[in-house]
Amino acid sequence: MQRAIPRASLAMLLLAALMRASAAAPIEVRLHYAGAREDAAFLGVTQGLEEANLQGGFLGQRYVLDGERDARARPAAILAAIEEEALVALAGQHPDIPVFNLSSDSDALRDKCLTNLLHVIPSREMKRDALAQWSKLHPGSKALAQAWHPEFKKYSAEQLSKRFFKARGQVMDDGAWAGWAAVKLLSDSVARLGAADPEKLLDYIRTRLAFDGQKGIDMSFRPNGQLRQPLFLVEGGKIAGEAPVKGVVDIEDLDSLGSSACPQPDSQ
Amino acid sequence: MKAFFILALIAYVAAAAAAPTERVFVTNERGNTVSVISGSTLKVEATIAVGKQPRGIGLAPDGSALYVALGRENAIAVIDPKTLKVLRKIPSGDDPEAFGVHPNGNIYISNEDAAKASVIDPASAKVIAEIPVGLEPEGVAISPDGKQVIVTSESTNMLHIIAVPEHKVVANILVGARPRAAVFARDGKTAYATSEIAGEVKRVDMVAHKVLNKVPLGDDKIKPKDVLLSRDERTLYVAGGRADQIIVLDAQTLQVKTRIPVGQRVWGLALTRDGRRLYGTNGVSNSVSVIDTASDKVIQTIAVGEAPWGVVIDD
Repeated sequence: MQRAIPRASLAMLLLAALMRASAAAPIEVRLHYAGAREDAAFLGVTQGLEEANLQGGFLGQRYVLDGERDARARPAAILAAIEEEALVALAGQHPDIPVFNLSSDSDALRDKCLTNLLHVIPSREMKRDALAQWSKLHPGSKALAQAWHPEFKKYSAEQLSKRFFKARGQVMDDGAWAGWAAVKLLSDSVARLGAADPEKLLDYIRTRLAFDGQKGIDMSFRPNGQLRQPLFLVEGGKIAGEAPVKGVVDIEDLDSLGSSACPQPDSQ
Repeated sequence: MKAFFILALIAYVAAAAAAPTERVFVTNERGNTVSVISGSTLKVEATIAVGKQPRGIGLAPDGSALYVALGRENAIAVIDPKTLKVLRKIPSGDDPEAFGVHPNGNIYISNEDAAKASVIDPASAKVIAEIPVGLEPEGVAISPDGKQVIVTSESTNMLHIIAVPEHKVVANILVGARPRAAVFARDGKTAYATSEIAGEVKRVDMVAHKVLNKVPLGDDKIKPKDVLLSRDERTLYVAGGRADQIIVLDAQTLQVKTRIPVGQRVWGLALTRDGRRLYGTNGVSNSVSVIDTASDKVIQTIAVGEAPWGVVIDD
């Protein structure tokens, strides 16, 4: 205990020095997580929070996950790894707060075009399109389409998978990547906005976001709330290719995976 | 007369000791080697087996030592640029990538996996300071007067400005996604930095620590990496990554003047002291492009080792 005091005061000094270095006023960014804490998505969220706080240390921004007790207060964003029906209800209860879908790949959910529901995890349709592109070059392939693969090395993906494994003791899968990516894109947006009001964040994320998610390309959200993103084609547990598939479509054409428009614009 | 002769002899000996080798040194990240190119014949005259994953490369201020960061050995190799012998390896901290050599001889290096920059005194092989920075620190640039160091953090999207000798972060400039490399103007008041994913280059006021202007370099294929100023500081050269071109810009307005097609995934750049020749490493083509800066044309393409990364010229 006696040793903890000087260490804590050192941390305070360091924090104070970092705060002085920043021009922006200190901001606390409160996030709410809905879902099982045993879920890989939650591990991704935890990793994202740690990294957001590293960045926030330089900018005077602090990220906290709210607990059960203060869950009624208004968070800056909600991170959800829950089933489709509960997710729709949750998004409906908080129409001005960005709600991130970290686990459901339902196409019907995207078709609802809820303005505050943002799908970080790819849809079933995106995965189908990736496989269709792949099978044009590799007929009869038994590949699967995934959002992430721990053996992907380019664009600092290797560094992310490495630090996730080191800190959390398991490999980064799709859910873990989605959890990390949601917090990362949020904290990037807070850093650039210098604010954490949910309405401003939602508008920024929907209209101005350019986020690479360690996949090497600027990604953004479609009108239906789906994050445009490259996918990995995985065969026998190994990366066989990337989609958009080179030689079939332009590799920059992320809209070749899944629908880019809202089928029911009136329903917004 | 005798005194004059002795003075002349001393001057000759001193000049011989410091005489540059006119060699161009290239790290080959997957070849685990350094290719040694003769600056006059433009031929590879030797290949040095240096160690695992050589990336960042630099020279001591007096040209007496060549430093190479070895990512998988957590070390910096010290090479004699004349004899081409690896003299020793000094500990660098985790996963060293890019570094800069300070006018006082110290090495400022980014430790990508550890979110920090380390300051190494190569003479004592001791880490004399560690400075916490953002995630995935990458490029390092040192002002000519040695008072400011820029470390870019790729994942935190910042230029961290470190004051020397205090070794404190004094400013953090938020920039476009994945800042990779930076370079100072001679007066230290302006710097330039590239952002790989944002595909842009920016000019930064290093007194007010603000971005002055920035330009997108083209389409999504342009993933800029290294950046260099011409000797007259009127022209900026940017390695365009997988756009397979070096982009030549007006250093003031950042308007693109021309694009020089080179090999695949061009990353590292170096300019001769007279500013007449520019070298670029083509990571996928396993080659180095030599450019005549008067005509902005490639005059030679030299095959080197596997995955060339960085380049430095001893002239």
